[in-house]
Amino acid sequence: MFKDLNPILHSQLRLAIVSLLITVKEAEFTYLREKTNSTAGNLSVQINKLKEAGYIDVTKSFKDNYPQTICKITPQGVLAFEEYVKDLQAYLNIKK
Amino acid sequence: MENEQTLTGEQSLELITSMISRAKNDYYDTGISALLWGSIIIFCSLATYANQWLKWVALDYVWFLTVVAVVPQVIISMREGKLRGFKSHESHLIGGVWLSYVIAIFLFSYVDYVLNISRDAPVYLTLFGIPTFATGYGRRFIPMIIGGLACWVFAIVALYIPYPNALFLMAGGALLAWFIPGLLLRRCYLKAKRQHV
Repeated sequence: MFKDLNPILHSQLRLAIVSLLITVKEAEFTYLREKTNSTAGNLSVQINKLKEAGYIDVTKSFKDNYPQTICKITPQGVLAFEEYVKDLQAYLNIKK
Repeated sequence: MENEQTLTGEQSLELITSMISRAKNDYYDTGISALLWGSIIIFCSLATYANQWLKWVALDYVWFLTVVAVVPQVIISMREGKLRGFKSHESHLIGGVWLSYVIAIFLFSYVDYVLNISRDAPVYLTLFGIPTFATGYGRRFIPMIIGGLACWVFAIVALYIPYPNALFLMAGGALLAWFIPGLLLRRCYLKAKRQHV
């Protein structure tokens, strides 16, 4: 029996965001927007969903008089991502 | 990436791989810091060597350029941080290694001044090698690993070479540890920048 893939992560943009955040310590909103080729609105919605799930931390501040949003993956997010990859490997029958 | 389309397992895996690779390839260093310090150390070493014969008073203070260069270095670091848009896991650690190096080198310069150590090149070269090797090792950047090792080899050689000639080893260390890696980093950075335009 296959485990269901985590629905929070099994979405194109949310998975892209988490995959990026897993490789860096923290990233700015603009960086995520550029790398995922998404619109600010859609990215903002998906970031909120990840934040509500406790997978990422979002810090809003001002830098040089401009609003700045910094996203960082949480330990819970790391665990969820690792679990998702494991389930995906099982689903695709990939042996480690 | 606008639609919330359903992903197949293969697409998910492809997406994860592509994003991780994008973030990894996005690590960049403009190379300016390495070029700046490489040029300064080469210039100061060669100027000090030339001053053995020139005897210009102004050149006695040429190493103060290393203190002055801290100002553009701070500006470069701030600008690079802004351009990058992210902080990598190792950047904090490598920053700490370079900060320790700066403190150690200024501390040793003071000790050198107070005790008037005549053969100081091996110590400076040993110090040059530490952050260079650590950065190269941490970022898997072979030119800096070679540069760090070269500094340590030069440190041993400098033990057997009289003072003014040992300055050539200092210049050589700076060339291999910073100037050449800086040029390579700069080339990679400009290439990446052209691809993004």
